[in-house]
Amino acid sequence: MPHLPLRTGYLTEHFADEAYGGLEGYRAQGGYEAARHAITTLGPAEVIAAVDQAGLLGRGGAAFSAGRKWAFVPRDRPGPTYLVCNADESEPGSFKDRMLMERGPHQVLEGALIAAFATGADTTFVYVRGEYAESARCLARAVEEAEAAGLLGDDVFGTGFRHRVVITRGAGAYICGEETGLLESLEGRKGLPRRKPPFPAERGAFGRPTTVNNVETLCHVPHILARGVDWFRGIGTEQSPGTTLFGVSGHVVRPGLYELPLGTRLDELVFEHAGGVPAGRKVKAVIPGGLSMPVLPAGQLDVAMANEALRERGTALGTGGIVVMDDTTCMVRVGCVATGFFRDESCGQCTQCREGTGWLHQLMLRIERGEGEPRDLDLLLEVAGQIEGQTICAFGEAAAWPVQGLLRHFRGEFEAHVHGGGCSHTASFALPGLATGPDETEAPA
Amino acid sequence: MTSASEMRPQRTDPAGESPAGRRVRIHVDGVAYEALEGLTVLQALDDLGVLGHGVDVPHYCWHPKLETDGSCRMCQIEVDGETGLQVACDTPVREGMDVTTQSERVRRARRGVMELLLVNHPLDCPICDQAGECRLQDYAVAFGSPHARTREPRRELDKRRELGETVLLDQERCILCRRCVRFCREITGTGELGILARGDRSVVDVAPGEPLDNAYSMNVADLCPVGALTTRDFRFKARVWSLTSVPGVCTGCARGCNVTIDVEKDAVQRYVPRRNDEVNDTWICDVGRLSYRRIGATDRLSAVRVRQPDGALGEASFDDAIARAARAIREAVRDKGPGVVAMLASPHATNEDLFVLRRLVDGLGVASAGAFVPQGDRDELLVLPEKAANAVGARALGFGDGAPVLDRVRGGGVDVLLVLGHELAAAIEGDANGLAGLDALILLDTHASALERAATVVFPTLHAAEKHGSLTNHAGRAQRVVPAVGPPAHARADGEVLFALGRALRLPGFAGGFDPDGIARELAAAVPGFAGLDLDALGDAGLALPLAGRESA
Ligand SMILES: Cc1cc2nc3c(=O)[nH]c(=O)nc-3n(C[C@H](O)[C@H](O)[C@H](O)COP(=O)(O)O)c2cc1C
Ligand code: SF4
Ligand code: SF4
Ligand code: SF4
Ligand code: FES
Repeated sequence: MPHLPLRTGYLTEHFADEAYGGLEGYRAQGGYEAARHAITTLGPAEVIAAVDQAGLLGRGGAAFSAGRKWAFVPRDRPGPTYLVCNADESEPGSFKDRMLMERGPHQVLEGALIAAFATGADTTFVYVRGEYAESARCLARAVEEAEAAGLLGDDVFGTGFRHRVVITRGAGAYICGEETGLLESLEGRKGLPRRKPPFPAERGAFGRPTTVNNVETLCHVPHILARGVDWFRGIGTEQSPGTTLFGVSGHVVRPGLYELPLGTRLDELVFEHAGGVPAGRKVKAVIPGGLSMPVLPAGQLDVAMANEALRERGTALGTGGIVVMDDTTCMVRVGCVATGFFRDESCGQCTQCREGTGWLHQLMLRIERGEGEPRDLDLLLEVAGQIEGQTICAFGEAAAWPVQGLLRHFRGEFEAHVHGGGCSHTASFALPGLATGPDETEAPA
Repeated sequence: MTSASEMRPQRTDPAGESPAGRRVRIHVDGVAYEALEGLTVLQALDDLGVLGHGVDVPHYCWHPKLETDGSCRMCQIEVDGETGLQVACDTPVREGMDVTTQSERVRRARRGVMELLLVNHPLDCPICDQAGECRLQDYAVAFGSPHARTREPRRELDKRRELGETVLLDQERCILCRRCVRFCREITGTGELGILARGDRSVVDVAPGEPLDNAYSMNVADLCPVGALTTRDFRFKARVWSLTSVPGVCTGCARGCNVTIDVEKDAVQRYVPRRNDEVNDTWICDVGRLSYRRIGATDRLSAVRVRQPDGALGEASFDDAIARAARAIREAVRDKGPGVVAMLASPHATNEDLFVLRRLVDGLGVASAGAFVPQGDRDELLVLPEKAANAVGARALGFGDGAPVLDRVRGGGVDVLLVLGHELAAAIEGDANGLAGLDALILLDTHASALERAATVVFPTLHAAEKHGSLTNHAGRAQRVVPAVGPPAHARADGEVLFALGRALRLPGFAGGFDPDGIARELAAAVPGFAGLDLDALGDAGLALPLAGRESA
C-alpha cells in the first residue's frame, strides 16, 4: 500500500479511512448516490451534458474533454458498446492511479458505472498495469461487493440497466497504456497501437464502439454529478477545472501524492508542498508531467500547472507526474535514461520511432561517454524532429519531446560534454541497467 | 518504383474503366482524376493505373493486395488544408482533395525515413540478391541516403535463417514492413510468420517447429521490398540486371497465373508472379513457380524420329517424318475409311495449335477425337484441379474426354493414332502395350514418356514459354504467350507440325505456313466461343472470351 496522499481533496479525502475501501465505508460517505441519481433520474444525454459543461479533461495525458469523448460514441448501433478504464499507469513519474484503485476502488467503479451509463456501455474492462497486483485485487474485491449489492449486474438500481466490470491485467509494456495498444492487448494480441481513424469510439475493443478513460478521469465524475457543475468549475482554472493528483518524486524532501487544484503553481508544489530539495542543494530542472514531457529549468517554475500555461513554456501537464532534479544531476544522463526508456518501449511498428529511438539513445550514450561531436547535438534534434508528428501513435512525440526539452534548456551542458570530453558531474546518479548497445535483445514476446 | 510483380498494367484510359461506385474529383500534382470513393490515396492511384506510371509515391509496407499497414511511413504526401504530412496509404480520397507528392517537404520526410531505415541496414548491396530490384536501394538513390551521419554500430542478427524448406531470411536486411507476415495471415491464412520482440530488437521469425511451409510460401520473397527474403531456388543464381523478363503464363493448372519469365543465357531462371487482378492478383503457387524447371529439363525431346526397319526409333528429317505420318494416315483412310484414325489433343497446346488439329480432324472426317486432362488437387486460393493451361480451349474446340478414344483404341478399332502431349501415358499408366495394336502412332510431344515406345513418328514440340499463341484459362480468359527462350533443336509448335501434315495430306485450309496470328483470327471468325480473339489485342492482361463462364469443375 503506498503512502497516503500528503495533501487531499475531494478525490482522496477519505483515503486515510481503511473502511472507505469497502462498499459499506464508501457508501457511508455518500458513495454510489451520484450513480443512483444519474441512472434512475437522469438520461445519458444529461449526464454527458453535465460532464461536458463541467469541463472535465482527461487525466491520462492528452487532456481531452471527457464529455466530448462520450458524445462521440454512436448510440444507434446494434450490439454492445464498451468502456475501458485505462489503469496501465506506465508513464515514469506517475503513481496516482494506483492510489486511487487501492484506497478508493469503489470511487473508480462508480465513475465507470456513470460513464458506462452515459455511453451505453454494457461492460467495463479495467486494464490494470501488470505490476499493480494489489490494485487489481482491490478492484476485484470491490467488483464482487458491488455485484452482490446489485450495483453491477443485470438490473442496476432496478432500472434494467445492465453492467458488468471485467478486470484484466497488462504484462509490462508502456505502449499498452496508449489506448489502441491497450485495446490490442486487451483482445489478446501484442500491444501494437492501431492506425486512427477509426477511433475507438467507432471501432474499439473487439470491433465495438468503445470509450477509453483514465482511472482518475472516471474518479472525478461522481463528484461532478453529486456536487454540480458550478462547484467543479469553481476549482482549478477556467480552462482546466477540478483538482488533480500531482505525484512529486526525485530530489525533494517530501515526495508523494498531492491532490491540488489544476493551476497550482509548480514552484508552490515543489518548494512548499514537497519541501524543496535537500539542504545545501539547488533545484536544477523539473519534469512537470511524466517522463515524456519536456523538462523545465529552475528559472521557469513560476508556472501554473495547467496546460494553457505550460504550453507557453513549451511543455505540458501530461499525467501530473513531477520529477525534480537538483544540481547534482547530469542532464546528459537524464537524456540517457529518457532515450533508453523510449528505445526499450517503442513497439517497433513505425520506422521513425523504431529506428529513431535507438539512434537517439546511442547518440546520448556516446555524448555521455565523452565521445560525442559538436554536430551530434543538432543530429539529436533532427532525429527527434523526424520522429515527432510522423508516427502511428503519440509515443513518437513522447520519445522526441524530452530530448528537445533537454537541448532547449541545457544545451550548454551537452556542449560541455562534447568539448570537455565527458561528464563533470562526478556525484550524479549512475546509469542503472540501461540498454547500452545494439546487441541487447529481449526474450521473444 | 513499384516492383514489377505488383505493378498494375498501365491503363490507356484511366478514368474510363469505371465500375459502379461513386467517384470523387481529386488533384494529384496538379492533374485531375476521378477516384473511387472509399479508397485511400494510394489505392486510388493504383486503381487509376497511374501509380508508378506517372505518379511516384514510394512505399514499403503498402501492397495492393494486402491490408493497409501504415507503418513504414514512407508514403508521405502533402494534402492541401492539412498541417502535417499524411500517409498516402491510409488517407481516404475525398471530393476536392489536392495532393502534392513531390514537394521539398515531402522529399525531406522521405529522406528522413530512408535515413532511419538505413541506420541498421547492413551495407550488403554488392552481395545481395535483391540488388537491382531493391526498393531500399532504389529510393536511396532517388532521395539520397546520408549513411555518413550514423557512426553507431549496426544491429547484428541472423543473416541466414531458414524459415522453411523454400525461403531464407536475412534478419539484418529486413526493414520490418510486415508484408510477409501479413501475407501469411491474410492470404494463406497460415500465419507462420510473426514479429518477435519489439522496438529496434524486432525480428521476423517462425515459431520453433512451425516452419513456413504453405503452398504459396515463396510469394513472400516477391513481396519483400528488400533482399531479406530469398527463395532457395533463385538464391545467388543470377544477378537481377542480367535477366531479361518476358511476360508469360504458368501452365501448371487451369488458372493460368500470369508470370514474368526471367531469362539468362537463353535459359529460364525463374518465374515470378505478374499482377493480373482478374486471374491471380499478385500471387502464384509454389508448384507453379517451380514448373519452369520443366522447360529446360533434360528429358525434353529434341529430335525428329521415325521408327526404322530394325524396330528402333532413329533420327529423321522433318520432311521425311511428315511424309511418313501422312502416308500412314492416307493409307489407313484409303483402306478402311477415316473411322480407323483417331486423334488426341493436348490441354497444354495453344488455342491456335488446337484449331489446326480441329481442321485436320474435320478435313479427314475423323470421328474419334478427345483430350486427356490431368487432374489433381484444388485449394481455396488459386490452384485448380485441371493441371493444364488450356483444357477449356480444348473442350471449346470439341476435344472432350479422351476416354472413349482410348476405349476404341483398346477395342482394336483404331489403326492410326495421332497424339499431342503425353497425357495419354498417364491414362494408360505407362503401359504402352495397350497401344501395340496400332499400325501407326504419331506423337507430338515436349517431354520423353512411355508413349515413345509405341510411336512410329515423334515430333518434338514447343513449351508454352517457347511459342506464340493463346491459352484459355478456367474462366474462359484467353491469355497470350510469347517465346521467352529458344526451343530445343528441331522442336516446332504443334500447329506447325500439324499444318505441314495437313498440307502433305492435301487437305483444304492448309495452304501456306502456320501463322498463329492469322490462325487466331480465323478461329475467332469460325468459332463463336472465340469471337474477338486477336493475339495483339490480348496484350499482357488477356481477354475474356464469349465462352467465359463455361467453367468446368
Ligand atoms: C505512449 C502512451 C502511453 C500512454 N499511457 C497511458 C497510461 O498508462 N494511462 C493512461 O490513462 N493513459 C495513457 N495514455 C493516454 C491514452 O492513450 C488515452 O489518451 C487515455 O487513456 C484516455 O483517457 P483520458 O481521456 O481519460 O485521459 C498513453 C498515451 C501514449 C501515447
Ligand atoms: S509511434 Fe512508436 S510506439 Fe507508436 S505505433 Fe509507432 S512504433 Fe509503435
Ligand atoms: S522480411 Fe521482407 S517482407 Fe518481411 S518484414 Fe522484413 S522487409 Fe518486410
Ligand atoms: S495456381 Fe496454377 S496456374 Fe497458378 S501458379 Fe499455381 S499451378 Fe500455375
Ligand atoms: S506505405 Fe504508407 S506507411 Fe508504409
